[in-house]
Amino acid sequence: MTTVVVVSAGLSNPSSTRLLADRLAAATQDALEEVEVTHVELRVLAHELTDHLLTGFPGPALSAALDAVRRADGLIAVTPVFAASYSGLFKTFFDVLEHGLLDGKPVLVAATAGTARHSLVLDHALRPLFSHFRAVVVPTGVFAATDDFAGTDLDTRVRRAAGELATLAGKVTAPDAASTARRSVEDELADPTPFEELLRRASRG
Amino acid sequence: MQLGIFTVGDVTTDPTTGRTPTEHERIKSTVAIARKAEEVGLDVFATGEHHNPPFIASAPTTTLAYIGAQTERIILSTATTLITTTDPVLIAENYAKLQHLTDGRVDLMMGRGNTGPVYPWFGKDIRQGINLAVENYALLHRLWREDVVSWEGRFRTPLQGFTSTPRPLDGVAPFVWHGSIRSPEIAEQAAYYGDGFFHNHIFWPASHTQQMVGLYRQRFEHYGHGPADTAIVGLGGQFFMRRNSQDAWNEFRPYFDNAPVYGHGPSLEDFTAQTPLTVGSPQQVLERTLSFRDYVGDYQRQLFLVDHAGLPLKTVLEQLDLLGEILPDLRAGFAEGRPAHVPDAPTHGSLVAARQSAGARA
Repeated sequence: MTTVVVVSAGLSNPSSTRLLADRLAAATQDALEEVEVTHVELRVLAHELTDHLLTGFPGPALSAALDAVRRADGLIAVTPVFAASYSGLFKTFFDVLEHGLLDGKPVLVAATAGTARHSLVLDHALRPLFSHFRAVVVPTGVFAATDDFAGTDLDTRVRRAAGELATLAGKVTAPDAASTARRSVEDELADPTPFEELLRRASRG
Repeated sequence: MQLGIFTVGDVTTDPTTGRTPTEHERIKSTVAIARKAEEVGLDVFATGEHHNPPFIASAPTTTLAYIGAQTERIILSTATTLITTTDPVLIAENYAKLQHLTDGRVDLMMGRGNTGPVYPWFGKDIRQGINLAVENYALLHRLWREDVVSWEGRFRTPLQGFTSTPRPLDGVAPFVWHGSIRSPEIAEQAAYYGDGFFHNHIFWPASHTQQMVGLYRQRFEHYGHGPADTAIVGLGGQFFMRRNSQDAWNEFRPYFDNAPVYGHGPSLEDFTAQTPLTVGSPQQVLERTLSFRDYVGDYQRQLFLVDHAGLPLKTVLEQLDLLGEILPDLRAGFAEGRPAHVPDAPTHGSLVAARQSAGARA
């Protein structure tokens, strides 16, 4: 069973961002035999995200969303373009994400905007963000301007990107291989690094 | 069971009056609060350590020694001592001196400090926080237990044939707690040494505190210090009480809403539901506090943060009076159902006795 989490940051209901997210999710489902898709809609988490920035801990719904991302084999991240970049709400979700949580994780990046003039946002904003997280961004990013929802080209790109994600997410059986350098708090709680090792590391530099 | 208070020593504007206490007022208030804590029957007063505004909590041993001179019984502690940016040699000297001056009424809690810019002011790097805590404490641990220490490490200049003076009172190092909110490595460290583990508790949901304490207990047993339920656990907590619950909510809300740490964020309702903060009547504070055992087991030390968010001194002292009133019930509640083999927190007296009985056996 492959698990995929779809993070979308649309604000209206229905939003074109969610629309694109749904198409990407459906195409990924088609590409994989057994898959479980979880949607994380950031609009409903907006208050808890702000609270997290201020208190340092996630409320119950945000905590569940972060856990879903942690467990996911692959991630689909979709944002509207605001002021020439991803939206603040979208960025906030990744601001509170623990480091190491996306190490080696396949991510499909996608964005929506009013016109095609913003299409490079995938390459100048989203790819660097996920490079920072040491995620593996699939080669095809999907950008959809309003016009694209009328044509068939979008569907081709959606299927290609979903296929790439499916290939990576389905094959990477454990993110461990890529993430041995960074252990999360959960890793330590489950299997603590013995103190003698901590002591050696402290003085080794 | 030890019950007490801890302060972070922040200078915060009272949001209801717009008045900010002077540093002098805040420093004197801290002393008044500590004296009051002893007067109402509390067991522990602990001060934080900060080296930047808006805090007045630098030079913690100066504060504690001054309080020690004006009190008889209360244990003087820290919350926390910065083991990362403070030279372990100075910690060894300062707290051993404090131990002598106060006849052993001292323990301390190690912490790392989370303010990035403070580290370079002391020639350190916050990214090395865990490594600093690990190496510095390993040295401190030796300085209090070995008369002559030769040592070489990564973060401080080497020592050759060094003796930290004064030697600890009665040859017994002050008991040490290690505090951490979210670093399992620190729970591991506390367990390795058989020291106490203190969870701040007040900023995070109970489920997280439970995980951290659970790890510490399990590793305490792993390192051969005794069964998991005999590990030495402390928790933070915070409350605001008035005889009438609704009065407590009305009076505390503006302080909460503007508090430096969580203000302008979650609602008071959400925060009291998600964290141990209790706002209400003394009976409600009593019941909530006694429920902490449900997820960490029987534990040894409960410290409350009372002087925060710009609350005026008068209000803080009233809170301590109310805490004093429920203290007998808190003690009775914590004693109820507590297995006989669960130890109390070590004190200077108990450590000296343990050392003597170990010596007699040898």
